[in-house]
Amino acid sequence: MNIHINGQAYPLAHEARITVTAALALYFIEPQQSTFAVALNGDFVSKDDYDKTFVNNGDSLDVLQPIQGG
Amino acid sequence: MSLNIYGKNLDSRLLIGSALYPSPQVMKQAIKASGSQVVTLSLKRQNPSEQSGQQIWRYLQDIVTQSNGYLLPNTAGCKTAKEAVTLAKMSREMFQTDWLKLEVIGDDYNLQPDPIELINAAEQLINDGFKVLPYCTDDLVLCQRLFDLGCQVIMPWASPIGTGKGLMNPYNLETIRVRLPEATLILDAGIGKPSDACLAMEMGYDGVLLNSAVALADNPVLMAQAFAQALKAGEQGYVAGVMTQRQTAHPSTPTLDTPFWHQGH
Repeated sequence: MNIHINGQAYPLAHEARITVTAALALYFIEPQQSTFAVALNGDFVSKDDYDKTFVNNGDSLDVLQPIQGG
Repeated sequence: MSLNIYGKNLDSRLLIGSALYPSPQVMKQAIKASGSQVVTLSLKRQNPSEQSGQQIWRYLQDIVTQSNGYLLPNTAGCKTAKEAVTLAKMSREMFQTDWLKLEVIGDDYNLQPDPIELINAAEQLINDGFKVLPYCTDDLVLCQRLFDLGCQVIMPWASPIGTGKGLMNPYNLETIRVRLPEATLILDAGIGKPSDACLAMEMGYDGVLLNSAVALADNPVLMAQAFAQALKAGEQGYVAGVMTQRQTAHPSTPTLDTPFWHQGH
């Protein structure tokens, strides 16, 4: 299957679906060291739900981090 | 006199952005020089291998801790209520605050807020417990509707974001002040000069939110100080009560006992 994280494709040969936690492990070297918030297909996913929310084929994950703003 | 934002009393009436400074060090110095206790920031996609987001986050945390201040996350870049609501929820988790500068942009050319989507998003967010500070146009009825929804703070624009054009329509802004005496009004966006901020405060606005005017100045730290003083001058001017304008000249110096050479004219 294919998922997108921040617009970048991540092909996964064997899995039919993965948890948000597993997807974050693909994206970050050390997720626990990073400060971020997550949306799946445009809907917010709270940290408490990372282990029980699944990313399926074609899904899009947004992982946002703090930045300067006006 | 302090500024009250959703029950929090702040010594400074200036809210300041954290973007566009020449360096993080200048940002820190300028924000400190401004005396502001509310600093805006945002959330964006970033390359995971870069740690710039983490550094900025720590920097801003230090700044607000030192000033006993608050972070004010924005929803910059959102074009629909749905996008803004999602980003708001992400920000609340990330920054541990229910304050939100709600931005929903309706036009790419002048970055004008979309009033329909803004109202829609504000309603959803207030129902979800957010304390919403909506960035909006200087439309009296829109501001009234936002206030009626439960936005205790309303932030009409002076002019489009980043233009530095100052107060495009002082009449509209004054009318909003007169018609919404209970609302906390913050003039947001388009401020260019300290005198723009002073003018807003003379109108009775409760505060000013700006970013580019300080960050893009030749000397951001000095400009931050200038804005702090301009707000204070404008606030004192408003409280002191500005004289009524008159159509005709009135001599300031007493005319009684005018010297002899004026006699006979």
